[in-house]
Amino acid sequence: MEKLRIEASSCSPLIDFDPAAGLLRIDGESYPENSFDFYAPVFSWLEEYLKDPAPAVVLDIGLSYLNTSSIKCMIDVLEMLDGAHQKGRTVSVRWHYDSDNDRALDMAEEFAEDVSLPFEILAH
Amino acid sequence: MKGNELFNLQELLSRQKLLICFSGPFSHSVIEELGKAVRNHLENERIEKSAIMDVFSVYVEQAQNVRNYTTSRETLGRPIPANSGIVVIGKEDDHYVVSSGNLVEADDVPGLSAMLEKLRGLDKAGLKAVYKEQSRKPREAGASGAGLGLIDMARKATRPLEYSLRAVDDAYYFFSLEVQL
Repeated sequence: MEKLRIEASSCSPLIDFDPAAGLLRIDGESYPENSFDFYAPVFSWLEEYLKDPAPAVVLDIGLSYLNTSSIKCMIDVLEMLDGAHQKGRTVSVRWHYDSDNDRALDMAEEFAEDVSLPFEILAH
Repeated sequence: MKGNELFNLQELLSRQKLLICFSGPFSHSVIEELGKAVRNHLENERIEKSAIMDVFSVYVEQAQNVRNYTTSRETLGRPIPANSGIVVIGKEDDHYVVSSGNLVEADDVPGLSAMLEKLRGLDKAGLKAVYKEQSRKPREAGASGAGLGLIDMARKATRPLEYSLRAVDDAYYFFSLEVQL
């Protein structure tokens, strides 16, 4: 499977998914003009990838701000990974946040509430 | 605009302690540029990062709501006349207040006011429950948002959302929303 890489812009994050290594990265801020259009290639890539993922998959998220439609997209991404976890795949999430920004921590904790996969929240 | 009218307008804006005001058609680039200006301004005020992000995020939700609503009416072939909205950010005592105004179709008024009244009657725990419920719903085909914006603003606000709906003519109402942080 091909890598998925979408460069960051001022209102959309970097997407860098390496299928062989099982390393998925989402970094930056997310409030694009149309979140569902922006994340559509992410959803379709993950859907394909999770049929036969690497032995261990880690999603590293470093999102300092998401608007509500991006939050919805991220919930959907996490649900896809959680589904793979429930089927016995080794999938985990590491959520990185800036320790100055309490809101980013609150947000990470809310995302973690809704999934059963291993979810680490790391301050930087 | 005549010089003295411009003076009066600016007097009015500064009496309201407005930091930023935009009135006109919202494009994505306007939303983004104004957002940067808001953040730069607040960073110079040396307030906490979480407070800056609260103001910025409520501003983004309001501006994107106005823009998405306008775009959706265009898609339906019923463009809103005088395609314009207004967003203002001001300060009242120690609180930042983010407000927006735009025209909405008369048919949307009952649903909008029912939603706002519902949110106004909920405490923080109730708002979180409504937020979680909405966030788990599948996305509606063709929808530009997730239906979470108003709930998210209500959760960040330090008092219930204030709003007004005023009839402009038979077809349109002016909807205003005020969020105190």
